[in-house]
Amino acid sequence: MIRLLNVSMMPPGVGQPVLRNLTLTVPQGEFRWLLGPSGAGKSSLLRLLTLETRPSSGQMDLLGVSVSQASRSTLRNLRRRIGFVPQDYRLIGEWTVFDNVALPLRLRGASERDTRREAFSVLEWLDVAHLADKRPGTLSGGEQQRAAIARALIGRPEVLLADEPTNALEDAQARRLLATFQELVDMGTTVIVATHNEALVREAPASSIVLQDGTLAGADPQDGIAAHRSDRA
Amino acid sequence: MSAPVSPGLRSGSLPLLVALMTLLAGLSIAGLTGVQTLAEGWAGAARNATTIEIPSDTPQLEDRTRALIQTLHKTPDVTTVRELSPPQVQTLLAPWLGQVTDSGHLPGLSLPVVLIVAHTGTPDLGKVVHEALPEAVVEEDRRWGDRLNGLGSSLVACAWLAVSLIAAIVVLSVGMTVRRSVMAQRKAVEIVHFLGAGDVTISSRIAGRAALLSLAGSLAGLLFLSPVITLLARKLAPFSHEAGPSSLPAATWQTMLANWWNTLHVLPRLLLEELGALPLIAACLGWLTAQTVVLVWLRRLP
Repeated sequence: MIRLLNVSMMPPGVGQPVLRNLTLTVPQGEFRWLLGPSGAGKSSLLRLLTLETRPSSGQMDLLGVSVSQASRSTLRNLRRRIGFVPQDYRLIGEWTVFDNVALPLRLRGASERDTRREAFSVLEWLDVAHLADKRPGTLSGGEQQRAAIARALIGRPEVLLADEPTNALEDAQARRLLATFQELVDMGTTVIVATHNEALVREAPASSIVLQDGTLAGADPQDGIAAHRSDRA
Repeated sequence: MSAPVSPGLRSGSLPLLVALMTLLAGLSIAGLTGVQTLAEGWAGAARNATTIEIPSDTPQLEDRTRALIQTLHKTPDVTTVRELSPPQVQTLLAPWLGQVTDSGHLPGLSLPVVLIVAHTGTPDLGKVVHEALPEAVVEEDRRWGDRLNGLGSSLVACAWLAVSLIAAIVVLSVGMTVRRSVMAQRKAVEIVHFLGAGDVTISSRIAGRAALLSLAGSLAGLLFLSPVITLLARKLAPFSHEAGPSSLPAATWQTMLANWWNTLHVLPRLLLEELGALPLIAACLGWLTAQTVVLVWLRRLP
């Protein structure tokens, strides 16, 4: 479960908060779109939820842990239960795709045999197993995105967060990815996907977290799409 | 190769720096050991010995010398009185006058008669000798021993200071290399951190590599040091009380190696142990420094 109560976030050196008095709850095993125009605070919220930063004020509980008061070791263990697909992929350029994808399992202390089996299973599902020995810098944007998705999915995280996970994928791959997210939700994973892809949102209507100017603007996909359109206009 | 769970260390010129520092530290330690050995040897010998020089132009030199020797034998606390033969006097003075190859006389210079008196306690030999043979000169070797001790202590302190400075430079070099490496791989370090890698997991990988590179650099430094130490040992051999290495003509590789091995064999055991410990010390310093730098850097991440 994810629970935010009056959470604000003001990055150092920034005059005003990028998130203001945000209160929301996402029960365990549910799917949410994260919608809103550029600059609405979607990335900031994802940074909070991936524990890259802590709230400036307010209460944030993640998987039963109060993040605001948690120690470094508690946060470390919590991070291992979260999968994240960043918009910029964040793959380690010096490592192979396989080593990047295997990292979460290795950090959990899984055996090398299990790690290999799991990693190749998810890489094959995403059609990038043949790239396992390549370095990310030699891959296309779509291939890197699939490698980042594989790293997030491996080990079946309890919370999966994705920032524009389909923007470099073809439609068929995007649909398959959505189906996978739904399978994870069915298995009890909480999934939050930030996107600008209106077609995708229409195709899979679900509850939404709609942000506008750092505050919660609505809970319906139509709210997010409308906000996105007004931003583009 | 082990599976990566954290970025490693970009070494840069770390092994070369450590090699050079090992070379300097080794030279300092060798100098320190040499000074200690010489000072202890000379001071020990000087404490219980007195040298008496009788000028060669003393009237009735032989008879009066014999009489003085008999008087000294009867003096309490005197254990032995030894008259140096002319070749022994030449050997004694060789470091200052060079080797003399003729029958025992330097051109224009007559060698004195030299008596070495060994004793226990502190007999007043000056008075005894002055009464029996006023022309003789008594060298109170103890005085030189004290001076040598003082000189030795000062040099030892300088050598330790040099070794400490070198250790500080190694720590700084490793620290800067590690920090540069972490900054260059900042993105990768942050990725593994946000995927749940522990601070110690990240720092240990970098520290392990720093230790390995420091060890390798230090071993290379020792390799460079070996011929330098051998050369110095040969140069210092005439001043040492220990038996010096037997020198073979360095015409072939085999004889050069044999010479090197002979010299290495007569080096003080303590020196060899201290030099042998340098790579381990360098590795420990590298590991500790890298751990500290990385752990401190990681504290800035949530």
